[in-house]
Amino acid sequence: MVETLFEDIFRVDELDPDGKKFDRVSRISARSEQFDMLMFLDINTEIYPMRTGDKFMMVLASTLNLDGTPDSGYFAPGNKKSLADKFDYVMQGKLYRISEESREKQVKADIFVSFGGLLMQLKGDPSIAARFELDQKLFILIRKV
Amino acid sequence: MSDQSSQSQSLTNNWDSLQVEVAQYINSDVRVPLQYSENTKPLSGFVQRLKGKHGRFRGNLSGKRVEFTGRTVISPDPNLKINEVAVPILMAQILSYPERVSHHNIERLRQCVRNGPTKYPGAKFIKHPDGTEISLTSKVRHRHADDLKYGYIVCRHLQDGDIILFNRQPSLHRMSIMSHRARIMPWRTLRFNESVCNPYNADFDGDEMNMHVPQTEEARTEALMLMGVQNNLCTPKNGEILVASTQDFLTSSYLITRKDTFYDRASFSLICSYMGDAMDPIDLPTPALVKPVELWTGKQLFSILLRPHAKMRVYVNLTVAEKNYGKSGETMCPKDGFVYIRNSELISGQLGKATLGNGSKDGLYSVLLRDYSAHAAATCMNRLAKLSARWIGNHGFSIGINDVQPGIVLNKEKKVTIDKGYGQCIDYIGSYKSGSLDLLPGCNNAETLEANITGTLNNIRERTANVCMNNLHWRNSPLIMSQCGSKGSPINIAQMVACVGQQSVGGRRAPNGFVDRTLPHFEREAKDPDAKGFVQNSFYTGLSATEFFFHTMGGREGLVDTAVKTADTGYMARRLMKALEDLSVHYDGTVRNASVCIVQFVYGGDAMDPGQMEEKSGLPLNFERLFMKAKATCPAVEQKSLSIEEIDKTMDEIIGDRLSESTGTPEGESSQAFSASSNKEGGMETFDNSLRKFIQKKYPNSDLMLKLNGKEHPDEDKGYLEKIASNICGVTRQQLMVFLETCISRYSLKKIEGGTAIGAIGAHSIGEPGTQMTLKTFHFAGVASMNVTLGVPRIKEIINAAKKINTPIITTALQSDNNEIIAKIVKGRIEKTLLEQVAKSIKTSQASRSASIVITLDMTKIQGAHLSVDAYTVKESILKTKRMKLKEQQVKVLDHRKLEIVMHADKKKLQFELHGLKNKISKVVVKGIDTVERAIILNEAKEKDPSANKKMKLLVEGTGLLSVMGIEGVEGRKTTSNHIIEVQHTLGIEAARKKIIDEIQYTMSSHGMTIDIRHMMLLADLMTFKGEVLGITRYGVQKMKDSVLMLASFERTSDHLFNASAHGKVDKIEGVSECIIMGIPVQIGTGMLKVRQSVKPIELTYGPDPIIS
Repeated sequence: MVETLFEDIFRVDELDPDGKKFDRVSRISARSEQFDMLMFLDINTEIYPMRTGDKFMMVLASTLNLDGTPDSGYFAPGNKKSLADKFDYVMQGKLYRISEESREKQVKADIFVSFGGLLMQLKGDPSIAARFELDQKLFILIRKV
Repeated sequence: MSDQSSQSQSLTNNWDSLQVEVAQYINSDVRVPLQYSENTKPLSGFVQRLKGKHGRFRGNLSGKRVEFTGRTVISPDPNLKINEVAVPILMAQILSYPERVSHHNIERLRQCVRNGPTKYPGAKFIKHPDGTEISLTSKVRHRHADDLKYGYIVCRHLQDGDIILFNRQPSLHRMSIMSHRARIMPWRTLRFNESVCNPYNADFDGDEMNMHVPQTEEARTEALMLMGVQNNLCTPKNGEILVASTQDFLTSSYLITRKDTFYDRASFSLICSYMGDAMDPIDLPTPALVKPVELWTGKQLFSILLRPHAKMRVYVNLTVAEKNYGKSGETMCPKDGFVYIRNSELISGQLGKATLGNGSKDGLYSVLLRDYSAHAAATCMNRLAKLSARWIGNHGFSIGINDVQPGIVLNKEKKVTIDKGYGQCIDYIGSYKSGSLDLLPGCNNAETLEANITGTLNNIRERTANVCMNNLHWRNSPLIMSQCGSKGSPINIAQMVACVGQQSVGGRRAPNGFVDRTLPHFEREAKDPDAKGFVQNSFYTGLSATEFFFHTMGGREGLVDTAVKTADTGYMARRLMKALEDLSVHYDGTVRNASVCIVQFVYGGDAMDPGQMEEKSGLPLNFERLFMKAKATCPAVEQKSLSIEEIDKTMDEIIGDRLSESTGTPEGESSQAFSASSNKEGGMETFDNSLRKFIQKKYPNSDLMLKLNGKEHPDEDKGYLEKIASNICGVTRQQLMVFLETCISRYSLKKIEGGTAIGAIGAHSIGEPGTQMTLKTFHFAGVASMNVTLGVPRIKEIINAAKKINTPIITTALQSDNNEIIAKIVKGRIEKTLLEQVAKSIKTSQASRSASIVITLDMTKIQGAHLSVDAYTVKESILKTKRMKLKEQQVKVLDHRKLEIVMHADKKKLQFELHGLKNKISKVVVKGIDTVERAIILNEAKEKDPSANKKMKLLVEGTGLLSVMGIEGVEGRKTTSNHIIEVQHTLGIEAARKKIIDEIQYTMSSHGMTIDIRHMMLLADLMTFKGEVLGITRYGVQKMKDSVLMLASFERTSDHLFNASAHGKVDKIEGVSECIIMGIPVQIGTGMLKVRQSVKPIELTYGPDPIIS
């Protein structure tokens, strides 16, 4: 089994917190159960609808290959077995920014990932952010529970 | 006797008429006594042949007719590269290029010769080395083709890849004529890529353009190197990119990069193949959506456009806030308005004009141009042009009536806004009529009302525009166009959909064309919005009769304005050019004119090329961006980030090393010394200082987190904390080194080159924006009632060095600027106060032989205005006033608020004189400066934050800088005027120079135009380098230049020529104009260098040479 970078179960708090701006894409704000992470994520709701209150399992991994070989970054068609098989919604992107935010002496770290323009912001304890590297290729895998 | 007299009479007559004939032969405009003037139109004299636009000087000597040119209508073709132009075959068969036959081209040229002049790739003539020329019209050309030898010259038809010059009038700046490569195409128009519309200011509504074919290899090379489109992507005006995507390209990029555009593999690959005609290798990236279906996003498409395959080593890094950026959240902006490109990958943001368009300094093409090359930027533009033209052709983009139909919500909101605005206006009018209006500073009742109503009504339009922008569906075509910046503004949309808004004539609401009213449809003295030109309707609903009329009034003003403007600015540009044409940078860094007289010791104070400045305010480099790029392109991977001390050390090493070798030369030192001594407008610190400062500012916050956590956490966590910290903001040694190296090496490349015709560039840079300014615009200087002349009239005033300007304003600093009362007192001291303003009454009393005027002062008013005026001071000022003819005894002070003036005169005259005196007395200036119209107190702090400390300033309308500076309470050192001549007289020539720079800068910036300050410095230096302020007028230019030919080709041709011949003037033919007139290469730029050879002095032998030696 391949090592994942992050795994947790999230619950959708709100759809489009700033109002709906795009037809097919919605921004969800979700909170995780285990690590108490706050996440904003753009999701193509046309092919994978989300509603407030939905619970889903989210996994971040650096490759889909089950043997753990790193991803090439280029399109390689073929029906190989992969990590994605167990999930409903998978996106591929790049980590482009890690930042900090301190409020009332509590330091939170944010990681920002862009899945071809669909953005994710994951806010939480700095120790989680330490697992990630800048410019890392990331896969987000989602399965409703 | 009578016979003799008649004879002599006829002799004198003939003599006179001979004189007339001769005079008219020389100058037919000469005034002639009536009896000699013939009715037949006189022939034009010598003077007429010389002078004027079509005279010998300007028409035949300064500009000549040339061969190998073409002109036709232009049309767009996005499939062409930006440096190509499609030439119709018909033109290519007429234009020719003399190509020398060589080993490499002989077969091709033989074919051309065989084809002859009428079949396309043909030729027109053959030139033999002995000079004979053979026309190829005859059938024998086949023999000529066979006889073709190396060294012959074939005048062949224009072919693909030939260099041509392409030009559109008006040629306002050097990018109006650029060199392209020809592409011979069928049909009859000249075609080019739309991206190049901007420099030519061309559109395709029937514009025609000219082309020229350079006829020698030298000319071709020079054209390609200096005038090539690729070498002119930037304007030297301010370094902004000028050749960039426009219109449809922006629209389609905007739509492609929308967050919810997804493509499946087939369509994604298809679109990928659009951009390179399916000829380029492309690496298909992993789809953004892997499951449930494989989908790629539009943003991935753009990443491919920037870097199609892995072998391409272009890593663009930039951040741009687009128009719809929500001001917070950076990349997470909900409207996706923040563009972030990291290592050529579009991370976020919907691309629009700010990223792809012209007129920005940190857009995509600017970054490509600066960080990589002009070629990289050009290929990117080519790819985008092809992609978007084809994409939008399939996608479709059109506008229809339903795009301008307002919805129910919109109508409702519009009604609410308008009703509210109208209510407000009616309230204002009500309080105006009852006199209870709160007056704005420096305004009377009516002006306050106008200002208030105008503000409210403009607000209505703005608000409806916002409502439109928020309520229209995102697919609305006008909305898309306005949001991505390709065409139209929110106001344009609001005018079509909701409300046209206030129509203005001359900056005011519609004037009263009838007695006390605008149109007979309204009541007299009506001031409500409808009666003064507010148009409630939209273009969709249609205008009412009165609204339509008001709209035509506004429309006509615009038309008249543009018509007047072109002539005005054209003349201004011509004068600027004539004055600045021969200034160039010499190899010692100085700017000199043709007679090598120094105008500037170091160009712009730092010898930088304005066309290459990367920072918005005109600094050479944008450190922030370069730092980001260095960090993104050199991943940290395993390297550790540096601590503060290490950063310091590395910086010292590199900066010390590199700067000492590159700018430590005496030249560099002097440039630094100059920039320090002349204190250049704030920003121009020496380079290494600014670099150090940037790093120092950058790294303290990088350690903030480490320190903060270091205390709280024990050792075991330190590892990961360090890792995060370095991920967040650490700098590795490599990154820092790369950053510093790029900064330093790039800085030294940005020095201006010797020979640059910087004068001409400066003249263009100031003249060209002039054409874009609306002629008459008045702006407010913080106070509603205070108008300042702006726009073209103001620029004209400045460069004419006008003695009398429209709105002279003295900006006064106060010694204590936080006290309103003191400000009022000073205001009272400055402002002209007439006796009638402070007098309660001026009464006359009359006895039989004497009369008197009793003046009672209104002490409450005087004290209220904080004037120190009483009867004694009034007496003094009466006596000081000229032409009053009063003796001291006549003026008696009764008490401190009353005085009497006694008059003695004849009984008959007494009555008149008394009244005359009374009128004069009432106009006596009792306090203040005569030349000052009024003074207004301006509180600068109030605008931002009412609770902050007050910062008072006085704005004085009028002249008299010296007297204002002398007033007690005025901080003389910080007081200045916008009247340049007055500044020169009061403060000196250096102050005048600074003032010229500041005033041009201010005028340009208030029209939203940025011009590099170095151009204005040069202009100001030229105007002041003779020790007095010289205007760019015929008088000023005459004092600046020595050359007769140059002056003759400028203005008053005949006067200068007569004068020169009378005085035996010598012209050395050094300047640009003279050289052009004489047909000699100009000594600027490439013509500056001469090859010199030391030749042995010829030994002169006396006596005849021997016949046989």
